Amino acid sequence: MKKILLLLIAASLLFAGPAVSGETIRIGLMCPLTGSWASEGQDMRRIVELLAGQINDQGGLLGKQVEIMVADDGGNPRTAVLAAQRLASRNVVGVIGTYGSSITEATQDIYAATQTLQIANGSTSVRLTEKGLPFFFRTCPRDDEQGRVGVETMLNRGYSRIAILHDSTTYARGLADEASGLLADEDVEIVFFDALTPGEQDYTTILSQIRRSEPDVVFFTGYYPEAGMLLRQKMEMGLDVPFIGGDATNNPDLVNVAGPRAASGFSFLSPPVPQDLPSDEAQDFLAAYKEKYGGAPGSIWAVLAGDGFRVLAEAIAETGSTDTETLADYLKNDLEGFSGLTGTIDFDHKGDRVGDVYRVYEVDDEGNFILQM
Amino acid sequence: MTNGLAVGGIYALIALGYTMVYGVLKLINFAHGDLFSIGAYLGLTLLVSLGLTTHVGGVVGLLLLAVMVMGLVGVIGILLDRAAYKPLRTSPRLSAVVSALGASIVFSNTLMLVYGPGLKVYPHGLLPSQVLYIFGLPVPVMRIIILATSLVLMIGLYVFIQKTRTGTAIRAAAIDQDAARLMGINVDRVIMLVFFIGPALGGAAGLMVGLHYGQISFTMGWIYGLKAFTAAILGGIGNIPGAMLGGLLLGVIESMGAAYISNAWKDAIAFFVLILILIVRPTGLLGERVAEKI
Amino acid sequence: MSFNGNKIRIGIYMAIAVCWLTAPFFLNNYQTDVLNNIAIYAMLGLSLNIILGYGGMFHMGHAAFFAIGAYTTAIINTTYGIPVLWLLPLSGLAAGLFAMVIARPIIHLRGDYLLIVTIGMVEIVRIALVNNVFGITGGANGIFGISSPQVFGYPINGIVNPGHYFYLLTAFLAFTITVFYFLEHSRFGRALKYLCSDSVAAEGSGIDTSGYKLWAFVIGAFWAGMVGTLYAGKITFISPESFSFWESVVMFMIVILGGAGSIPGVLLGAFLIIGLPELFQELQQYRLLIFGIALVAMMIFRPQGILAPQPHTYPIDKIDEKSDDREVAR
Repeated sequence: MKKILLLLIAASLLFAGPAVSGETIRIGLMCPLTGSWASEGQDMRRIVELLAGQINDQGGLLGKQVEIMVADDGGNPRTAVLAAQRLASRNVVGVIGTYGSSITEATQDIYAATQTLQIANGSTSVRLTEKGLPFFFRTCPRDDEQGRVGVETMLNRGYSRIAILHDSTTYARGLADEASGLLADEDVEIVFFDALTPGEQDYTTILSQIRRSEPDVVFFTGYYPEAGMLLRQKMEMGLDVPFIGGDATNNPDLVNVAGPRAASGFSFLSPPVPQDLPSDEAQDFLAAYKEKYGGAPGSIWAVLAGDGFRVLAEAIAETGSTDTETLADYLKNDLEGFSGLTGTIDFDHKGDRVGDVYRVYEVDDEGNFILQM
Repeated sequence: MTNGLAVGGIYALIALGYTMVYGVLKLINFAHGDLFSIGAYLGLTLLVSLGLTTHVGGVVGLLLLAVMVMGLVGVIGILLDRAAYKPLRTSPRLSAVVSALGASIVFSNTLMLVYGPGLKVYPHGLLPSQVLYIFGLPVPVMRIIILATSLVLMIGLYVFIQKTRTGTAIRAAAIDQDAARLMGINVDRVIMLVFFIGPALGGAAGLMVGLHYGQISFTMGWIYGLKAFTAAILGGIGNIPGAMLGGLLLGVIESMGAAYISNAWKDAIAFFVLILILIVRPTGLLGERVAEKI
Repeated sequence: MSFNGNKIRIGIYMAIAVCWLTAPFFLNNYQTDVLNNIAIYAMLGLSLNIILGYGGMFHMGHAAFFAIGAYTTAIINTTYGIPVLWLLPLSGLAAGLFAMVIARPIIHLRGDYLLIVTIGMVEIVRIALVNNVFGITGGANGIFGISSPQVFGYPINGIVNPGHYFYLLTAFLAFTITVFYFLEHSRFGRALKYLCSDSVAAEGSGIDTSGYKLWAFVIGAFWAGMVGTLYAGKITFISPESFSFWESVVMFMIVILGGAGSIPGVLLGAFLIIGLPELFQELQQYRLLIFGIALVAMMIFRPQGILAPQPHTYPIDKIDEKSDDREVAR
């Protein structure tokens, strides 16, 4: 009896929402603070909060302070939907997020229905921008573009027997499919196409299978922990085939796991990291990040979230408005050559980022990532 | 194939822990896989903070590290029993299993909160990385070392169980706790011992995995634990040689399955093997009855 | 004495029901959606309760049944355009059939082994979904574009209007509670609870334990399959991530922590486990840790759950009327 009363009281607390503040500009950040991608989400939060802090120090946007409302999407669609509902009901001007195409996809309709601007940073599935949603943008490129660049690179290097390895996740599979689709039209042979299981440690079996298929190159579309293990184990096995990785292999820990010897010669595709961009914005950002958090940001996707925020802030400042349609219109039609932390940013009418975003990186003998083009 | 054996050695070490606890308490210690993770993480912390291998020579340093890790994880094992299982000794068995599940969640999340959600990397160059060529196939020397270490530990355990008085006490308690008590065996002490040895072995496996594969994450206990459990069942739960055999066998079956069927289904194959054994031959290869036929 | 207690209890239930039914008028979309989630998990918990609470079978693979129902609806709806609500029975049937096939060989396993097997099962289902088995599950990307359910031609869009969906879910929840209440007090329910406490005695009394256990699985699965349909129709997009082993653990916790075998217990469990984390957003990281500790603590201190099932009381006069042994009693 008493217990039930207590519960009723607890329940009523659930419904005590905070009052709406009129003195700040609220920007939402939907990211995975818990769950399998917690490290991405936490990085995203650090970067966006840093950038928001900088803007506030300089007087804010349109004379008001910027307030970042963070919602944890938990890395799964169900909790992401709740996070989206929460942000959508808090009068945010726009939402940055999120990482993981299926997570983003689950929330698209909610933002569309509430006319909330959404700028995704880590969702590369092609179909997200093929639905005609007018307020959806992304600062990250798409799988088809990365596939194109990957295939181009492999063809340029003269490979004719190609092995493709993914890890069954949405992203890796998507990229693998894109690449194999494009390769089908070329004069090459796909000698291997299979997936490994992420989180396992021992990939020697699958490496043996790859060796048996005698490829010229292996295109691995999965994530950096597995990439690191693959490189290390292939060296131990004496498998001398070059590996090319997708952008999810871009992470300094790759070299830590594989060791500089094994990682040397590995190439991967990625949007340029701030360290390689000469622009003032990129270098200032790096300095500020280092000062506040120590070291450089680990994830390119989190940096793309930072770009998402900056683009939105720019739109608000330039249009003097927080109206979704005005902002969307600005982003699509008026934003040109915006100097981002990951290169110049322009959006097309679908909300995709245009331009050649992808670069090829190679790892040198000391484990540094060297930009190739 | 050799890869299968080395991985199998790891499964076997973890499986021993499951089987020992099960033998004496008839409890599936869900948290055992997490003890494996704890071993890996503690190993890393000790290694980094104490700088063991730089201060002492390579092999000695590693042995010292191994002993420390095993000891610590063993103690954690005992604490686990005290906190989560001992109060439930007289309760229905299923309560203990649920408690084990809870304990497993607590362990893995604590690891995540303490060490962060990303993966952690072991320093390099601690172990020999040469590659031997056996029958024309490249075999990293580390795998042989892992397999050998696992075998040594397992044989050591087997000898301990079969030939020493304490070992006999454990076996007696596994057969019938009350009768053992009547014989003057301090069953509580036996249980404590079991909860020390099993987790210590698991911790050793974790350390080896960390050293050899180089990266660890707080979820690694889950999948290794489940596979080790499959191995224990395969060999016959409660049966120590069975666990060893089961572990090695599972490692090999997995590699073969992955090679001939498809890598993407590898985990599914392991689960499938588990289900199949429980349906077709629940006694396992060497062990006891599992199903109650009503 | 017990009459008064009953009156109070019923009074409380009525008060809660009224609060619940009027809630959407006082809450915003997000908060209503939380209630929607609670409703979905409450129904899942109730369906698991049949297997776990009444039947005492430790089952951690319930998400598999949920998944099969959701995917059946998703695939058929996106391929053939059949309205979502019509697919409710079909999804349930698919899940039920799956349960029948799977459960038969494992039904006789001892409790802890059954547990492990169910874990294996749910993982196999998830891996199959991710690997796009038979080419129809959409792989890791999932399936999108599922239509919203329609009631008499009026679409209920869970995304734009969580409030509308709320009433759809509440209606189904009420239906679920009613059906399961009668099930609990039926011959089937009694038999199931009997064999849960003492299967040897039950068999000796002539109850076909294997048969009842199997039916428990099938019914639980059937219902979970139907909830899958409602879920698919709400989010209009499903992917394998929603059906992992951890989802099964959540359902399991709802039943065990709330009170296995007790309908109010399960409802309370759903409210606490789904609702509380939303309340304490800052503590999200500790959510699972807290649940783990709660599980251990509950098993030690209150294994029957927060709202344990009330023992059944049978009025004496009713027994006497039917008894032929009145002569003997006197």
